[in-house]
Amino acid sequence: MAVKFRDYYEVLGVPRTATSDDIKRAYRQLARKHHPDLQPVAERGRAAERFKEINEAYEVLSDPEKRSKYDTVGAGWKGGMDFTPPPGAGGEWRSADASSFDDLGGFSDFFASLFGRPTSTGRGGRTGVRIQVPGNDVEAELPLTVEDLLRGGKRRITVNGGRSLDVQIPPGAREGVVMRLAGQGGPGVNGGPAGDLYLHIRTAPDPHYRVTGDDLEMELPLWPWQAVLGGEVRVDTPDGPVTLKVPPGTQSGSRLRLRGRGLPRADGSRGDLYAIARIVVPERPSAREREAYEALKRGATAPTDRPARV
Amino acid sequence: MPRTIRPGEVLLSFDELATAAGITRGRLGRLIRLGLVEATGPTTSTFTAGTAAQLRRMIRLHVDLGVNYIGAAIIVDLVQRLERLQAEMARRRDH
Repeated sequence: MAVKFRDYYEVLGVPRTATSDDIKRAYRQLARKHHPDLQPVAERGRAAERFKEINEAYEVLSDPEKRSKYDTVGAGWKGGMDFTPPPGAGGEWRSADASSFDDLGGFSDFFASLFGRPTSTGRGGRTGVRIQVPGNDVEAELPLTVEDLLRGGKRRITVNGGRSLDVQIPPGAREGVVMRLAGQGGPGVNGGPAGDLYLHIRTAPDPHYRVTGDDLEMELPLWPWQAVLGGEVRVDTPDGPVTLKVPPGTQSGSRLRLRGRGLPRADGSRGDLYAIARIVVPERPSAREREAYEALKRGATAPTDRPARV
Repeated sequence: MPRTIRPGEVLLSFDELATAAGITRGRLGRLIRLGLVEATGPTTSTFTAGTAAQLRRMIRLHVDLGVNYIGAAIIVDLVQRLERLQAEMARRRDH
């Protein structure tokens, strides 16, 4: 098995002559900067990889026994070179300072080629009991469209290790809602339970509908005479076209409610859809339209030269 | 084989939350009394999966970086605010 040599000193950014205090300090600084839980969800996966590297480097350099073995074996190698471990390397080891993130099985092949795979832990020594270690939690984003929130249905996602999973979008799914899929996170070690998968729902902006809580909003462009006189207009809703009654004297910005045509809630009911009136004036009125507007101007009985407010 | 989301994947009971967070019920009770974990579901004893994810993060910060629980709760809250800001910025860029 070809593995790349890892320069643990470079990972921690310390010289080979660093004291154990230097190493501890460098580790603490890097851990504080790269801890996955300090990053937004979208960047957590990448940070977790980096944090693992930092932990692995610290695991080796903070333990005098491992560090001296690494220094002896590692002399002459540079980071990234193909590495062949010397005979006699490997075996078993114990974690000195287990972090919840170094899920033990998560150390690199390079690490394993030098120090072996962890099979025992605790004070009992190398032949001690096999400790079950739970797997890591995995946090990921689940991007959904407004259409997905409306229709529900299944969404195929690929989780770590390339496994694919069909997730049913629950009614009540919204931006920021989190789903916990128990046991779908990282695998456990020595038969320990798998971690959980947390899916954070994100919604992409929709060209037609804006989401506000359980309600949807859409624009309703109207001609001036439709707004003044009222009438019936056809609008496209998520459930198909409907006829909407525009009351006479509808102002721009008026919210016309279509009850129960918003997003589905967990209890089976639905939010509302609001059509927001936007009055659109004809940019190039025909001669007849112009005449009609001129007549309207002459006949206007409004008290001032222009409306006092919007 | 498709999995169907059960209510337990969005809402959790007190016991389910303790299991999800990997802590004892006693410790969860203390964290609730400290106001660091809040019931966010429809009743006072149901929690959302989002709370479970937050609690896990608080516990990892406590274990890995030695942050106390109140500090960890503040960090989790600030990171969430950062996420919301970034999402808002992305929305504005798209419009």
